[in-house]
Amino acid sequence: MLITFLNHQWKAFWRSKNKGGSIAAQIFIGLILLYLLAVAVLVGLSLEILIEKSFPGKDVLVVFNGFILYYFAVEMIMRLQLQDLPTLSIIPYLHLKIPKQTIVNFLNVRALFSAFNILPLFIFIPFCVTAIADIYGSFTAIMYIVAIISLAIFNNYTALYVKRLSISNLKVVPIMLALIFTLGLLEYFKVFSIAAISNSVFSIISTHPLAALGFSLFALIMFLVNSKYLRMNLYTEELSRNDEKKTSTDYPILGRFGEIGNLAALELKLILRHKRTRSSIIMCVIFVFYGFLFYKKDFLKNDNFAAVLFAAVFMTGSLISIYGQFMFGWQAAHFDGLLVNKIDFRKFIKAKFLLFTIMSTFTTLIISLYGFISWKILAVQFAAYLYNIGIGTIIVLYFATRNYRAIDLTKAAAFNFQGVGASQWVLGLPYFLLPYVIFMPFYFAGLPYWGLIALGVLGAAALLTREFWVTFLLNQFNKRKYNIAEGFRE
Amino acid sequence: MLEISNLKKVYGNKTVVNIEELQINAGETIGLVGNNGAGKTTLFRMLLDLIRPNTGQILSKGENVAKHDKWKDYTASYLDEGFLIDYLTAEEYFTFIGGLHNFSPAHVMDYLTQYTEFFNDEILSKGKYIRDFSKGNQNKIGIAAALMQNPELLILDEPFANLDPTTQIRLKALIKNLKQEHKMTTLISSHDLNHVTDVCDRIVLLEKGLVIKDFLTDENTLKELEEYFSE
Repeated sequence: MLITFLNHQWKAFWRSKNKGGSIAAQIFIGLILLYLLAVAVLVGLSLEILIEKSFPGKDVLVVFNGFILYYFAVEMIMRLQLQDLPTLSIIPYLHLKIPKQTIVNFLNVRALFSAFNILPLFIFIPFCVTAIADIYGSFTAIMYIVAIISLAIFNNYTALYVKRLSISNLKVVPIMLALIFTLGLLEYFKVFSIAAISNSVFSIISTHPLAALGFSLFALIMFLVNSKYLRMNLYTEELSRNDEKKTSTDYPILGRFGEIGNLAALELKLILRHKRTRSSIIMCVIFVFYGFLFYKKDFLKNDNFAAVLFAAVFMTGSLISIYGQFMFGWQAAHFDGLLVNKIDFRKFIKAKFLLFTIMSTFTTLIISLYGFISWKILAVQFAAYLYNIGIGTIIVLYFATRNYRAIDLTKAAAFNFQGVGASQWVLGLPYFLLPYVIFMPFYFAGLPYWGLIALGVLGAAALLTREFWVTFLLNQFNKRKYNIAEGFRE
Repeated sequence: MLEISNLKKVYGNKTVVNIEELQINAGETIGLVGNNGAGKTTLFRMLLDLIRPNTGQILSKGENVAKHDKWKDYTASYLDEGFLIDYLTAEEYFTFIGGLHNFSPAHVMDYLTQYTEFFNDEILSKGKYIRDFSKGNQNKIGIAAALMQNPELLILDEPFANLDPTTQIRLKALIKNLKQEHKMTTLISSHDLNHVTDVCDRIVLLEKGLVIKDFLTDENTLKELEEYFSE
């Protein structure tokens, strides 16, 4: 029976509707996955050297032992955010003559097929097989591997259990995350050290290898707790959604913009009420920290803005480019409704501009905090901001009129390539190259500030001639609206 | 009201709709019947400018629907859930649609009170997004939103499907009422021959994209249709 279920899952995966899409996108995803695996293996194999290089003078084993629990603590946070509950897939089986226990077993086995469970094997096992086996012998190495597999399984079922609890009680995940972050902070302020605990635990294993079975015991307990919970609560509505009371909201500020504001409010609700859009926005918030990577002191001192500019354009425009690249696919499910209703599509496009402007202004205000590093950053970011709301928005919307792929809003965002097509891959090029095309001539002429001014002025110019661009985009849209609507209906 | 001429839609090598001439007069209630694949929904989509016909044109009040937007002022429609914005609450959706016709939110809510019976207490202030309603109730929301726009031309695709018997009867009464009060023109497609003959005064029968029959309803219509479909 389990095999049949897994076989169905396999078919579901390969035959899913959007699978047939663009081959290029699939090859790309395949390459990324291969790359990630290769990196994991490489890290695993060269862990010894890596540790020696990064922590010179420290005992490799001590660092390795200290690293293990650390890894799984971080992994736990990631799992809580990203790992999906394999729940919906059981609906067609619930009413058939299949014992509940079999379905629970299936859910448990299905949960093991996650990248999170494979990654640690690639990272840790090579080291165990080489270094640990060399020092302590092969039996200890095997018990190390047992411990690591057990930890992965423990994490797997704990994360799922916490997530399942959180469906009936929304507060569980935040509490869990807060707990882990507190641990992280305590670690940071050296109140206690996960690394030290990890180290002492694993040095016990290296002297008494059988102690590793302790982890297996924890994993087993968690597995049983999870199974029991599933067995008791095998009702899809309890496993997959919460019946929180939904309320109507309106945004009085947007209401001031009339119909344009209403359309923008509609899209804002779309963003806030779907998991996939919410996680896209959260991703953008994370990109706010990009500045720490790119805003290097010596770049700024020498007015070498070429490197800084990318980060500035990317951060001020992250919401525009990341959310905008799938436009109008977000609205695919009700696109027919928008077309037949009395909506002026001139206003529809203006509403997108309004939304983008709000988003970009919002992020720009946040990252203005980088101004504490240097005022020059503010100048670069302001030029980038003008470019984004002036020119970037036009580029994004132009590509939107050529995007016929619907977005399935019910799926999560991370590693979700549903709805990705050619226009997303092409969009990035003009979007991020154009600022350089404008800036670089001035830069090479030794006038970096003039380059920034040119960028800002062109952005402002596009902003002032917006009516013209709206007409242009509207014409593009009207040319292809049947294709867009047809693509979305599939 | 509507003039269709030389209308043709082809997918691959299959002609889905092929109508040489069809006139629909103001105030008529027309029932479109035909088996699956007869081209009912495709015809509706072309009427609403959602699909581009291969040849021919549709004039609404003398204006080509593909070239002008004016028909949107007096046309309301509900074909499927694709017309609903499913992440809104029912109230928000009604307010949004009403807003497009410059109704204030208070006006909309006031207007909806007359549908209390039709809604049967299952739609308003339920604290649910539209996506969480049952199919029948989603249908009700879509139909009510269309009626609310006070249209001169109403287009409904299988409005009786998924509705409970009580609501089906109430919907028929609503349509008959609106026809008398506002001289509303209505286009309905349905598989339910009883309902169609009951509510419509003209029946258009489609088969493989062609208009096979086009006649006014009388007491023999239901029998005639049943004979056709049982062949």
